[in-house]
Amino acid sequence: MSFVELPHTADVRIRVTSVSLEGIFSEAALAMMGIMYGRTDPGSVERTITLESDSPEDLLMDFLSELLFVSEVDGLVFSSFVVTISGNSLTARLIGEPFDTAKHRGGTEIKGVSYSGLRILKEDDGYVLDILFDV
Amino acid sequence: MISGISRLGEYEWEVPVGFVAGMRVPGRYFLSEALEKTLEAGAVQQLANVATLPGIIRYSLAMPDIHWGYGFPIGGVAAFDRETGVVSPGGVGFDINCGVRVLGTPLAVTELTRRRELVEALYKSVPTGVGAKGNIRISGKELDGMMTKGAGWAVSQGYGIPEDEERCEEHGRMVQADAGAVSGKAKQRGTPQGGTLGAGNHFLEIQAVKEIFDPMAAEAFGLKPGQVVVMIHCGSRGLGHQTCTDHLKILESAVKRYNIPVPDRQLACAPIESPEGKAYFSAMAAAANYAWANRQMIMHAVRRVFETMYGIEYESMHHIYDVAHNVAKMEEHMVDGKSVSACVHRKGATRAFGPGHPDLPPVFSSTGQPVIIPGSMGTSSYLLRGTQAAMERTFGSTCHGAGRVLSRSAAKKNISGSAVRNNLAKEGIIVCAPNDSAIAEEAPDAYKPSSEVVRVVDAIGLSRLVARFEPLGVIKG
Repeated sequence: MSFVELPHTADVRIRVTSVSLEGIFSEAALAMMGIMYGRTDPGSVERTITLESDSPEDLLMDFLSELLFVSEVDGLVFSSFVVTISGNSLTARLIGEPFDTAKHRGGTEIKGVSYSGLRILKEDDGYVLDILFDV
Repeated sequence: MISGISRLGEYEWEVPVGFVAGMRVPGRYFLSEALEKTLEAGAVQQLANVATLPGIIRYSLAMPDIHWGYGFPIGGVAAFDRETGVVSPGGVGFDINCGVRVLGTPLAVTELTRRRELVEALYKSVPTGVGAKGNIRISGKELDGMMTKGAGWAVSQGYGIPEDEERCEEHGRMVQADAGAVSGKAKQRGTPQGGTLGAGNHFLEIQAVKEIFDPMAAEAFGLKPGQVVVMIHCGSRGLGHQTCTDHLKILESAVKRYNIPVPDRQLACAPIESPEGKAYFSAMAAAANYAWANRQMIMHAVRRVFETMYGIEYESMHHIYDVAHNVAKMEEHMVDGKSVSACVHRKGATRAFGPGHPDLPPVFSSTGQPVIIPGSMGTSSYLLRGTQAAMERTFGSTCHGAGRVLSRSAAKKNISGSAVRNNLAKEGIIVCAPNDSAIAEEAPDAYKPSSEVVRVVDAIGLSRLVARFEPLGVIKG
């Protein structure tokens, strides 16, 4: 996994790196699923998220908030993400499997995605994201 | 000590105007020297950030369990003038009305036989952890009832008795709630989760009254030495989380519309009386009511388990009190000799109204409001009472808990869940949890000692110690 946990006492703050902006989104989504469910396995259930926002940070915030909603309401644990970003709009295909009490109780609940300290930086060799989840 | 901060007294520090650009008032926090060693610079920065918000009255405050959160620091308290001030989800958090309640039982510790069986029965009766669904089916109309009537809705459905309601902060219901301001998505998340505990630091604990510091107040609260009590710590579940997410987005646009500069986007806010401010407040109140109904439903399940296992009557288990520690409220406070109408935000802080406050039921008029401070897993929890000093210094507020000192991953590196479980078992404390990592993350060493936090608020007088509880069995979320 391409994320590391940054110091934060109360919540979970992570740094995600990827060569592409889309990669940042996929890795952050995968990190979120891992934190919530302890493990993610390949599956065949699909959902699609499409949305528009004002900036890459807003797009990411809205994408992860929507992922959290879909995962909880539909009872799905996603393990693979195909993200397309064009300007301020995003389309993401989420692929995973149904939540299974026997398998997916190894994580902790994420209550929300915070704007605090949220930033996406473009560097020479790719992108770096810092983000905080309230757990 | 963090540079730029001055110490005002044994337990009080000041963050001066200018520490962060745009501060309108100074920051003040309360700590002991021992607790000061673990204070993070990020928490002080957040305290100072809050001081930049329009309409803030007197100080941006933090209680001795201050630590680094998002938006407000955890332990943060700020009051905003209703006419000139703002309301912000950053001062409440995602888990709206996360709170604590205590149920008294007529049992003495010596009568509490079959403890493992009891912990397991409670674990089965109260759904916990990620992905858990409630045992009670909730219709759309019933969900509206939870959001508008709070604890009273649950009592009207048979999940409690009328006396339970007055034993809640706000009588278990914020009257400003508007279920119409809560999104369809939030309702979808809340519908299957009524009566569930959640995860993270939420818990249900069987405890014994181990020490009484204030016999008169303890008697008024209905507590005796050696008595078995049950503590429930949880919030508004997905309904509250989604409400925060939805309104944060709306208020993000509002700060631009009202031209309010915020140093942290999580402090997105709007004037209290603006359409956006009112919409957030009434949705937050609806989520707060959901949380009170939720804790009431959980308490009902607990009473049923005790009734069945020990043959005691449902009505003989008295609700001691229920407090919210993530919420914003409209309150009247005396400021410089004048009564001021304010929106008081408490983010990881507890209301602690003093004796004689008109919002308290007669039973607490001479003692002040009961204040419940949960300990970390396996450590003591405390019951305190509100004071006049809190009314004068902190808008009737005190601390809310222990406060973390180790991140969750550091806690897991330090000790395994099974080791924590075994250590607690040696002390006679039985733990049930969905997984071992949930236990490791909440290990006692990951938290500041709650004993020191309550010692400090007692020493300052922000609330007074009444009783100490020790855990016997823990159900972890």
